[in-house]
Amino acid sequence: MTDTSIARRSHRPPKKASGLNPKYIPYALLIPGIAVIAALLLYPMFQVFVISFQKVGLPQIRDVNPKPAEWLGWENYTKVFENDIFWSSLRNTIGFAVITVTLTLVVGTAVGVLLNQLSKRMSTFVIVGIMAAWAVPPVAQGVIWRWLFDAEAGIINWALNLLPDFLSTALFGRADWSGEPWTNEAVSIYVILIVMVLWSSFPFVAVSVLAGLKGIPTELYEAARVDGSSPWRTFWKITFPLLKPVFAVLTILSIIWDFKVFSQLYTLMNGPTVREAFNLSVFSFAEAFKAPPKMGSGAAIAVILTIILLIVTAFYVRQMVKSEEVQ
Amino acid sequence: MKIVKIAGITAALALGVAACGGGETAEPAPAASAAESAPAASGPKFAGQTLTMWRLGDSNPPAQAYMDDLNAEFQKVTGATVKLEWIPWPQVNDKFTAAAAGGAGPDVTEIGNDQVPLWVSQEALSPITALTSAGDQAQIPKNLFGLETIDGEVYAVPWGAGTRAVLYRKDWFDELKIEVPKTWDEVVAAAKKIQEEKGKDVDGFAFNGGSDANHLLGAMAWSEGGDYAVKEGDKWVGKLTDPTFKAGFETYTGLVTSGLSGKSRLTQNTVDIRTRFANDKVGMYLTASWDIPGIETDSKGKVKADQLAFFPLPAKTGGEAPAFFGGNDIAVWGTTKNAELAQEYIKLATSKQWADRYAKDGGLLPVYPDTLASLASDPVQAPFAAAFAKARSFPADPNWTEAGETKAVLQNAARSVIEGKASADEALATANKELEDILNQ
Repeated sequence: MTDTSIARRSHRPPKKASGLNPKYIPYALLIPGIAVIAALLLYPMFQVFVISFQKVGLPQIRDVNPKPAEWLGWENYTKVFENDIFWSSLRNTIGFAVITVTLTLVVGTAVGVLLNQLSKRMSTFVIVGIMAAWAVPPVAQGVIWRWLFDAEAGIINWALNLLPDFLSTALFGRADWSGEPWTNEAVSIYVILIVMVLWSSFPFVAVSVLAGLKGIPTELYEAARVDGSSPWRTFWKITFPLLKPVFAVLTILSIIWDFKVFSQLYTLMNGPTVREAFNLSVFSFAEAFKAPPKMGSGAAIAVILTIILLIVTAFYVRQMVKSEEVQ
Repeated sequence: MKIVKIAGITAALALGVAACGGGETAEPAPAASAAESAPAASGPKFAGQTLTMWRLGDSNPPAQAYMDDLNAEFQKVTGATVKLEWIPWPQVNDKFTAAAAGGAGPDVTEIGNDQVPLWVSQEALSPITALTSAGDQAQIPKNLFGLETIDGEVYAVPWGAGTRAVLYRKDWFDELKIEVPKTWDEVVAAAKKIQEEKGKDVDGFAFNGGSDANHLLGAMAWSEGGDYAVKEGDKWVGKLTDPTFKAGFETYTGLVTSGLSGKSRLTQNTVDIRTRFANDKVGMYLTASWDIPGIETDSKGKVKADQLAFFPLPAKTGGEAPAFFGGNDIAVWGTTKNAELAQEYIKLATSKQWADRYAKDGGLLPVYPDTLASLASDPVQAPFAAAFAKARSFPADPNWTEAGETKAVLQNAARSVIEGKASADEALATANKELEDILNQ
């Protein structure tokens, strides 16, 4: 099939005249999707925004003669900003996202490049292996890692105890790990959370990068090899520029995913227990749904999280578009 | 364990039957055939109707038998069938929240007495004032209605009173030749000895840092003369920074810092501790006598009631520590469509005959004074009756549950002290401010 035949076929006018002006067909086709999004996403988002300015508790949302919600203005927001837990949650959310997004992309890319070098059979084997980690549901991940880091029965403390004492002391300043609690304080909780989320999200990056790599003509690499380019230089001069669109999408997705991580943290802490380790999602949940529910301040936190996410994403998309223009 | 529990509960709710913690499924109280035959008997007023009842806790065999008998009696009197569901204690607030929001609540529910103010403030309960001034219920002392009476209306009827005492492994104490402790120092010595002999991962005296942690912390703080907060005018003033409260708080955190309880279980509640107790991992902990049937189930019969016993918690300052004035009430859920039938149920359940049996079968203290008086000679109930005389309660405010359970103000303060992040003074000063903010909001 040649290019000209495709062109000719696509230019052939439709045999039967449709009732709709062709100009409007795309819009007509979009209507069902937009309607679903509007009902399931836009309307709830609008409601969250409204609720964030109101006092909403159980008497306001129940089925039987609900009370009207009281309008509070900015009170929910000022109260949230005065709360220490909000600031520690904000710090945790942003710190976690920066570290985890970076690690996910670096490790994912490295594994993707490695997969490209492997034989077909071996690469299939590795892909199946890592995709299994990616496919584990978030709640199950939380439970699995909580068990791994269990103070008494966990495999991590057991393994750390197997290290020769001098090595363990040299590395961590201690030799005895029996009964070491990991989920009592924010720092160790986030160490586990970062490893857990990295473990479950790098396979997606790796496979996406691999798909991108398959699309790069091998001639480019052959030319680089003839010119004596080092693998490092080849990556930065050929692979990276050509995969830039892939990286852009992966970065935005990772930012969004890591900013709103909830299930893993919730199950790891066994509910909203350690307050210093809250991130904004868990904080919002605890405010909105734990007795007595304060949906107004929960909504305010959710709105703040959304705005931060919008700013970060908008900034990143702008950078991306700019650099495309320069090229 | 949590997953199994959650799965069990989900399954139980889906089927509308009660399932207990040990995975043993109990039959719902009224059999279907009985329900069909009831309407035929023309007499009862509510024949053919169904009432949903929430019981809190585990459906251990004596509790289940009690409910079966009560519901059968109720069916005989009114003709209505009762659909019984069991809600584990740590999930009560979440279930109530969901029920109040979604409208799929019970008609009648059991409720912890200190939870009543919160759920009244959320308008989740119906007033039942008239019910308490007539019949048997008029005999229940009025001072037992302190938490239940709000703005002159009564929202719940005391069903059984519960205080806490120390549950210990009698067989271990006999084996290791430990005397039943009379002072706090003896408790510490006994706990140390248990850990030496039974392994370092055994909690000699278990630390409770979960949703019901204040039952333990409160007893220790009250025994020093401290209290959480007092109402001055219409404002709550926090008393956590008082030296008396601090002394109790330090005894409490000392359970972990001195190694009597593992540092890795700072958020465990009584249900978690009970599970470990049933698995030979705890020597002593503060609880109520309703835990015993659950322990027999959890340990698959390996730990039996005759291996267990109670003693009143000794105060560090000497004598017995004041216990938490707990109790279980029964109330009409606000959104019920069957208010009249629901009130009938409460009338029957809290009548002298059934309330006394509820207390007896559930290991609680009876709310009827003459029955309570007869308990002083009972060896099992005596520690509780003794503690009951000195019982104290938490600040009577709708926001207490938020401070004590949801925000876990003092549990977080205790953790920051145990982790070495703050001194007791710093942690209590922060907690005091937060407690005042929550109670006065």
